[in-house]
Formats: sequence, C-alpha cells, structure tokens
Amino acid sequence: MALLSVRDLVVRFHTQDGTVHAVNGVSFDLEEGETLGLVGESGCGKSVTNLAVMRLLPQPAGRIVGGQVVFDGQDLTRIRESEMRDIRGSQIAMIFQDPMTSLNPVLTIEEQMVETIRAHRDVGTAEARARAVELLGMVGIPQPEKRLKNYPHHFSGGMRQRVMIAMALALQPKLLIADEPTTALDVTIQAQVLELLQRLTSERGTAVVLITHDLGVVAGMTRRINVMYAGFIVETAATAELFARPRHPYTVGLLHSIPRLDAESGEPLIPIEGVPPDLRRAPAGCPFAPRCAWRLERCWTENPGLEDAGSAAGPETGGSTGSAAPHRIACWNPPTADEAAAGRPLRPGFAAAPLPGTALPDIALATPEQAASLVVFTPEGDPLTALPGARGLPEPPDREARP
Amino acid sequence: MDQISSQAAAQAAATPGTVATPAAGLEPAAPAAAVSGDGQAEVLLDARNLKKYFPIYGGILRRVVGQVYAVDDVSLQIYRGETFGLVGESGCGKTTFGRTVIRLEKATAGSVSLDGQDVLALNDRDLRRMRRRMQIIFQDPYGSLNPRMPVSDIIGEGLLAQADAENQWGKRSVRDKRVGDYLEAVGLRREYSRRYPHEFSGGQRQRIGIARALALDPEFVVCDEPVSALDVSIQSQILNVLSELRREFHLTLLFIAHNLSVVQYFCQRVGVMYLGTLVEVASVEQLYATPRHPYTVALLSAIPLPDPRIRKKRLVLKGDVPSPANPPSGCRFHTRCWLYEKLGRPENCVTVEPALRDVGGGQQAACHYAEYVNPSAVQEATAAQDAVATAAAD
Repeated sequence: MALLSVRDLVVRFHTQDGTVHAVNGVSFDLEEGETLGLVGESGCGKSVTNLAVMRLLPQPAGRIVGGQVVFDGQDLTRIRESEMRDIRGSQIAMIFQDPMTSLNPVLTIEEQMVETIRAHRDVGTAEARARAVELLGMVGIPQPEKRLKNYPHHFSGGMRQRVMIAMALALQPKLLIADEPTTALDVTIQAQVLELLQRLTSERGTAVVLITHDLGVVAGMTRRINVMYAGFIVETAATAELFARPRHPYTVGLLHSIPRLDAESGEPLIPIEGVPPDLRRAPAGCPFAPRCAWRLERCWTENPGLEDAGSAAGPETGGSTGSAAPHRIACWNPPTADEAAAGRPLRPGFAAAPLPGTALPDIALATPEQAASLVVFTPEGDPLTALPGARGLPEPPDREARP
Repeated sequence: MDQISSQAAAQAAATPGTVATPAAGLEPAAPAAAVSGDGQAEVLLDARNLKKYFPIYGGILRRVVGQVYAVDDVSLQIYRGETFGLVGESGCGKTTFGRTVIRLEKATAGSVSLDGQDVLALNDRDLRRMRRRMQIIFQDPYGSLNPRMPVSDIIGEGLLAQADAENQWGKRSVRDKRVGDYLEAVGLRREYSRRYPHEFSGGQRQRIGIARALALDPEFVVCDEPVSALDVSIQSQILNVLSELRREFHLTLLFIAHNLSVVQYFCQRVGVMYLGTLVEVASVEQLYATPRHPYTVALLSAIPLPDPRIRKKRLVLKGDVPSPANPPSGCRFHTRCWLYEKLGRPENCVTVEPALRDVGGGQQAACHYAEYVNPSAVQEATAAQDAVATAAAD
C-alpha cells in the first residue's frame, strides 16, 4: 500500500475576484521511502497540492472541494483538526522556500526546536535539548551547543535552511514535503543543502515530495516526476524516462526553453510562446492547448485525461521495463520521439489548430453548470469570448488579482 | 569599421525587424574569438580600478563605523557590439558594479569611460545627454514600473527628458509614435500604451522595461538579471527578444546574472565576481571548458544539470560567503578554497591579494596558483571531499 495516495484532489480558492481553480483533479501515489518531484511554473498548483495534503490551505479562501488524501491508511481530508495536528510534524514534515519567514524571529533556535520535539514526544526539556544539539550537528552546523542560543537572524540563508531541515527531521517523519527548498539560496549553497537533504532522507528512508521549478534539481534528486500545468498533472514518469523520452508538449517545451550547461554548442532555445491561463476560469479543453505547437482542433474543447503513454516511435530501451512508475500523459497529440528531440512538430504540413472562431463545437460535458464555467483561453492567457454555454457570465476582472 | 559591427549589421539585414516569431529558434551567442584579445576590437566601456564602498553607520551619533566593500578595485573593458556577462552570487557586487558604471551610484574611486568620455567627471547637463547612450533594464519587472503611469508615460518620460530640436520628442505625436514602435519591437501591441502596469504579466512588464531602455537608442545597456524573476517558460521568450534587439540595434550589453547556463548561452565574454572583486575574465568557451580560478570551478560544479544520467560529483564549497564589510585578508576566496587546502595552505594566499593576470589565450584569473587548476586537480579535490564526508558520517 502506498504511503500517500492522493485521489482526484480538487482545490478552489474563493476570492473577491472569483473562484480560482488551483488544483483540478490531481491523483498520485507515493511509496515509502520514494522521492517524487513535482515540477511546474508558479501558479501551476504544485504548492497548493501539498498545502492541501498538510491541510494548511489559507483560510477561509482555500477549500478542498473534492477528492481524497490517504496517508498511511487514513483519509486526511476527513479527520479532525486535532488529529491532523498530531500528524503534522511527526508524520509529515514540511520545509518551505523561505527559511526566514518559516522560523519565528523572536524565539531562539533552542526554544523552537525544543517546542517542536516536546509537542509530539513525551520527553523532558533537557532530553529535547540534547536531541536538538544532536540534530544541529547532524545538519552540519558548527558548535551546535552555542548556536542553539542564537536567533534566526544570526544565521545565513543556507544555515537557516539547515536548521529547518533539522527541525523537519527531528521527529523522524515518514514523509517530508520540501517546497522549493533551495530556490532562495545561492548556487554554491544550494549544492550544499541538496546534498544534505538527499543524504539524510535516504539514510532514514524518509519519503520526499520535492516541489521545484528547476528541472536540474529534480533530475539529480528524485526517482519519479509529476509535471503540473494549470492545476493538472500533464505528465508523470520515472525521472530517467521523463528526461530521455518526454511525451507531453509542455514537458518537451520546458526542456527546450532552458539554456543548459551540458548542451551541444549552437543548439538553439525554443521558447514556449504565450503565458499560462488565468485560473479564475477553467479551461474547456487541454489547459496547455493555447500555447501548444502540437494542438489539434479537439484540444480546444476536450480535456485529455492522464493515460498510459504507450511507446513512443523511438526505440524502447531496457531502462523503463519493470519500473513501478508507469509513464502517463494527458495529451491528444503527443510529440513523437524525433519531435520531442527537435522541440517542434516535424510532420509535413502540420500546423497547430487555429483559435476557434465563433462557431464552436459543443463541449463534451457532464453538466450545464460545468459548461457555464468553462472557457477557451487565448495564448496570452485571457479567456476568449464566452462559449455558447458560458453566455451571461460577468467578464473576469483585471489581471491584477491573479494568484 | 570593425569586424563586430559589420557582422552584426549583416545579420540584422538578413532578418529585418523580426521579433519573437513563434517557434523561431533563438540564435546562440556568436563566437567570441573575434572580440577578445586580438587588439582590433574597439573598447566601448572602460572601467579602471572602480571602487564603490557603502558606509555603515552606527552608535548614537550615527557615525561611520565601517564600510561595505561592494566593488573593490574592479577593472574591466567591454568591447563594442559584445555581450559581456557578469556572474557571481548574491552580494558579490555585480549589480553595484553595473549601477556604478552608468552613474546610478556615485563611485568611491576609479574611472569609467564610455566611448572615450569620462562618465564619472560629467557635469549634470552632459550627464543627462550621456544618459541617452547608456541605459539599464532592471531585474524586478514589478518594482521598476510606476504603477500610476500608463505605459505611454513610462516609456515616454525618458523621451521627454531627452527631447531636442532634432528628435522632436517634445511633441506628443512624435513621442507616441515612437512608444508604439518600440512596443511592437519587443513583441507587444501598440494599443497597450494606454494600459497600466498592473494589467500586464511579469514577462510583458519586462518587455516594457526593455522598450523603455531601447526607445532612447542607447549604445550600451546594463541588463541587471533581466530574466531571473520570470518563470522558466517566459525566460526564453525574453532572452529571444533581447537577442533579436541587440542585433538589430547594434547594442553592447553588460549582462548581469547569477545563472551560469543563461550566461553561457547569451554572452560572448564573462567576468566572475567574488566579494567585490573580479576573479576571472574569459571568453565563454574558455570559461566553461577550462575555468582557471578555483571559485569558478566550484560555481560551475554546483549547477544541477537537467539530465538524470549525469551523476556528477559536485565540488561543494564549505561555509558561506564572508561578509563584504570584513573581507578575508590576501585572496578573499582562501577561506573556502579547495585549492588552498590541496596545496597545503600556502602562505601568500593569506597575505598577498592576487591580481588579475593573464593565464593564456586572453583568459585572466586572479589566483596565485591558477596554473594548478586542471581537471585532475578538481577530481582529486572532489574525491578528498568525499573521503572527509564519509569519515564524518562514520
């Protein structure tokens, strides 16, 4: 049985400017001791998914409106807040991007660490303190006895993140969620922190969900990767498989739009045009369709589900066989292996389907209410003129309030 | 006419006015061989012994109790038509250097000349004239546009300040036309000039910042981390726009960044800064293939590669960057240097500050022992560090 099983998770934010469709039916499993990468750009729902797992969504705006989060056999969406409190920290721990704002600036490191340990374990102050010293030493902080008396502002960014790691691992959690743990750090410090994180979690068999926008970070740190876009998982595969044979146009686009140190010289960058959609409206079709070079006409109005990718037109190698992680994509017209390598469609005469005109085909839908909230987005991320079912809705307000 | 600008002109003629065409590949940086070291290229920006110290105030009388040595004796030449990348970690002084050369900060000491004119000695009137020729694109596309101004005023303000009888920018109609032209040049619609900054996404705002800088027809533009605040898929769009425009307008760029992959892709020559000093200057090919300063080696080694097949052994630096208010003696990097340890802690690293010197092929490094930096030394140091880590774990 999986340690964490997220099923059809749907999260909405109810704001003054409308309902934000942050997470739209995300499902994934995480085995004990596994490392999973969640990759995507800002606003794609990767952080919100994990805040929902921790039941830490900003209140009262954020709501889990559907789905299950089963951790160790227990559905976390259904238990009481007091029970959730016992799980947070001791079973599931989290490291945030900004170590300054996630440590309390008016308490010493000692007070914070002792408080955390004693909240979950029946130990005395002296024992908790000894444990804290041990933990600080473990994450490579020199003179831990002395540094315990310091306040967070006495530490540099990299040191603070080490303290956060020490606190997160203090209670031997089964699952660690690391949300952009090194994004705020300089590259030489990032290398130190990643190394530490990897060593400590693999020694302890801690399962890790690593959230990042940096494909370089997940490549070296994870066994499996979920790529998210606009609140959907659009591709999931074992790490080696994903980098060797990306099958979703968004993943292909990401890999071709970053300059790489290891690139053959002269290899051009191919940018993804346009911007992500404004999630105050739900996309009628594939969320990536407006920016996709492989788009078909049906992509505008039918959202593909996550399906087994099958085999690409390329040669199958032994790397993926027997792997527990199936390669799945949500795409009507996946790039072939050659196209993925080139970063653009190669089929003669193929052109991405143009923006639909006024005469739109009917959207394949379950209910009229759903029809009312669905829109087609332009590549600039704005809703196109309302679809037939969406008439009468107010225009969305300014982009200012975009999440 | 020198080689570079004729080359650029030929390229510009081949691709007239095309900006950000969908799915168009971004041209990689041109080879730097023509620029560096052959003596023919014309120096556009010449900074000599530039220093910028920020005072630290303390005590009840708010007296100066110390200095932050943000830029400490940096000399650098940038050739006309090239894109020079300046890299380093936060706090190394790269942004301060960029701001000081165009006089957004007052230099503590040293000289800067642009096209032979002493920038630091200009009086207010001449400086204003000079501002047309040197512009800046800022890092933060949110903080650098006035939220109360429509785009037409944001871009038009500079034009108005530089208006004269010849360019007629004082006239609203002339100005508006130019604003529209430059919005189109950066891939936005003319009509956007009536909108306010909050109506744009981050990438679009950065395009506006680029249009603002280029509308004055500058020769030299400081790009201060122009893509680091943007999402991955948007970064390459902006790099694409900058790449087209630098060719079209024959720009010379000082490209400040902390992302070494972007610099490798976008620049011809690179300078690496550490704690206020320049530690290495080289062409992109040299720097990435044969780094000669131990800090550059570590910086390159720290970058995570987006390829799981490469299990690279990282050379991890110990500790943090020291405070620029109290830099280490001698070589500023010796407190974290792997080569210093490997060579048995030679004394001159602690006592003598190494100067930037030629280490062959026009490549310069500020290290007493740059000749000892080679792949096998790096490998040994990485192995030694693993042994230490294993011993510590046991």
